[in-house]
Amino acid sequence: MLKRRVLSLAGAIPVFLLATSISYPAFSATFSQGEPFPVTLQSGGVVTVIPQAPKRIISLSPTATEILFAENAGSQVIAVDSLSNYPTSAPITKLSAFSPNVEAIAAKRPDLVILSADATNSVSIQKALRLLKIAVLVEKAPTQISGAYSEFITIGKATNHVSDAKLLVSHVKNSINSIIAKSRKNRSITFFHELDNTLYSATSNTFIGHVYSSLGLKNIADKAQGADASGYPQLSQEYLVTANPQIIFLSDAQYGENLQTVSTRPGWAQISAVMNSNVVLFPADITSRWGPRLIDFYQSISDAMAKVA
Amino acid sequence: MPTRKDPSAPQMGPMWNWRITAISAVVLFAVAVLGVSLGPIHLNFLKVIKTLFGFPHGLQGQERVLLLDLRLPRVLLAALVGAALSTSGAVYQTVFRNPLADPYLLGAASGAGLGATLAITSSGGNVYGLLPIFSFVGGVLAVLTTFFISGRFFAEPNSLLLSGIAVGSFGTAIQTYLQQRHSSALRPVYSWILGELTIANWQVVRWSCLYIVSAILILITVSKQLDGLLLSDEESFSLGINPNKLRIIAVAAATLATATAVAASGLIGFVGIVVPHLVRGITHRVTNRSLATMAFAGAAFLVLADLGARTLLSPAELPIGVITAFVGAPFFLFVLRKKRVGS
Repeated sequence: MLKRRVLSLAGAIPVFLLATSISYPAFSATFSQGEPFPVTLQSGGVVTVIPQAPKRIISLSPTATEILFAENAGSQVIAVDSLSNYPTSAPITKLSAFSPNVEAIAAKRPDLVILSADATNSVSIQKALRLLKIAVLVEKAPTQISGAYSEFITIGKATNHVSDAKLLVSHVKNSINSIIAKSRKNRSITFFHELDNTLYSATSNTFIGHVYSSLGLKNIADKAQGADASGYPQLSQEYLVTANPQIIFLSDAQYGENLQTVSTRPGWAQISAVMNSNVVLFPADITSRWGPRLIDFYQSISDAMAKVA
Repeated sequence: MPTRKDPSAPQMGPMWNWRITAISAVVLFAVAVLGVSLGPIHLNFLKVIKTLFGFPHGLQGQERVLLLDLRLPRVLLAALVGAALSTSGAVYQTVFRNPLADPYLLGAASGAGLGATLAITSSGGNVYGLLPIFSFVGGVLAVLTTFFISGRFFAEPNSLLLSGIAVGSFGTAIQTYLQQRHSSALRPVYSWILGELTIANWQVVRWSCLYIVSAILILITVSKQLDGLLLSDEESFSLGINPNKLRIIAVAAATLATATAVAASGLIGFVGIVVPHLVRGITHRVTNRSLATMAFAGAAFLVLADLGARTLLSPAELPIGVITAFVGAPFFLFVLRKKRVGS
C-alpha cells in the first residue's frame, strides 16, 4: 500500500505507473483519493449524488469498463455488459447495454450503475434505478477528445480514484500529443473511414473525424456534410471512386472486410488506396470507444500516414 | 367469418352472455397478479399479495418500490394498451366490414411514427418527454388527413381505407427521409417502432388511463348500434341507425384509444387483429356487445406478452412487438386461410 502511495505521487512516469497499478487492484477500494464522499457529479446532462465510495459497480458501457479498469477501479466492478470484452479480466455478463433490464440490474445489488446515454429509453431506465435508490452515471458519447478526458475524471471521482483518473488523462494526452507531433502534417493526404460496407462514413464534425483532422488528414466524407445532422452520411459508390482516397480505414474489419474484399467491389480496384495497399484494418472496437485505447487508434492512423508519405 | 348475418337469427343463441365477460375479467385479474409477481427479481408471492391489497407484513424497502413503482405501472399500462388496441381493432373490423382491419389502418401508425421521429430528431437533448405528445398528435392528424382526403367521408368505407393506406405510405416516406438525415435517430426510432413498455410509470398510466377508458366507454355505449353496421346501410337505416354518424363516432373513439396506446408504448402490432378474432372464435359470436370482453382479453394478452418481454431474454429486454407479432403473424395467416375456405 505504501509502495502504491509513493508511486501515486510520482506522476511524472505515468506509463510505468499505469502498468504497476494494474497489478495491485486489491488495494484500490481501500483508500481515499481526492474529495470525500458523498460526491455530486454531472454526467450526460444528469446530476448524480454518490453517497459513498462504490463497492459494487455495474458498467453497461464498454468504454466505461475500459476506463474503470485503467483507473484501478476494476476490483469494485461486479458486472459488465455483454459487449464489454476489454480488458479480458472484466466480469462479463449477459446484461445488455442497449436494452437494459432494470430488474436484472437491481438483482445484482449494485451501488453504482454506469449507463450509456445511447441505451434504449436511457432516461426511463435511469429514473427507475433512482427509484430503487441506486446511483447512476450516464455516459454520453463525446464529440471531442476533451469530452473523453472529462469522462475519465468523472468516473475517477465517482469511484474514488481521482488521482488514478488524472494520471490516466495525462498518460493518454501525452501519448496522443507525441503521436501527433511525430506525424507529418501533410494536408493533402485524403482518406475514407468506412463504418460499414454500405459506405456509411464519419465527417470531421464527429469524434472519429476529429481524430483524423488532428493528424492533418483530409476527409473525403466532408463533402457530404449536409446529408446527415449527426455527421455520419452514407456515401455513394460513384462519389467514393471519384474521390479516390489515398488511405482507406476499415472500422468494419472485425466483420470481415479487408483489402481483398474491398478490391472486388465495382470500381474499387482503381482507387489509389487499394492499388497501393494502403487499407488499414482497425483492431476490433478501437474506433467505437473513447477509452484509454484511443492511443492505439491514433497510432494506427499515424502508421498508415507514414506508409503513404 | 360471416360479415352479414341477421342478428335475430335463432341459431345464434342469446346475443351476449354476461358470464363470458365475467370469466374474461377474472382471467385478466389472474394474469395481472402473475405479471406483477414474476420478473428477474424473485418476490415472495404471499408478500406481493399482502402489499397489493394493503394488508400488513407486505414487502418493504427496495422490493416494495420494485413492485409498486416499477412492475405495477408497467402491468397496468400493458393492460390499458392491450384493451385499447383490441377494442379499436374489433370496432374497425365492424366499421370497414373487413375482418383484417386493424387499428393502424387509417394512418395512425405512420402518423405517430412520424411524430415520434420528429421528436427524436428535432433536438439532441432530452426529447423523450415530448415523444408521447408528438406521436399522439401525429397519429390523430394522420387519421384526420385520411378523412379529409377520402372526401365522401363514410359513404364508402373502402375509399376511406384506400386513402388511409396512401396517407400511411406518405407518412412513412417522410419518416424514412428524416431518419436518413439523422442517423443517430435510427436506433431509438427502431426500438420505438417495435413497441416498448419500459417507459411505464404512474404518470404515463394516469394520462393513458383517462383517454383509453373514456374511449372504450364510448365504444361500449354505441356497441349495440355497431352491430347494425354489419348490415347494409339501407338495412341499418331501417333499424333507426344513422350509419355515417355512427361510423364517425366509432372511428373517432377508436382513434383516440389507438393514438394514446401508440403514444404510451410505440407500435405494438397484431393485438388489434388477433384478440378480436380469438374472442369471436372462442365465443362463436360476431356481435359488438362483446366489446367489454374484447377489452379484458386484449388486456390479458398484452400483460402476458409483456411478461415474456421482461423475462424471456432476461437479463435483456425483448421488444414486446416481437412477441405479439410472433404469436400474431401465424394467427393472421390462419384467419386468412379460414376466410378463404369459408367463402
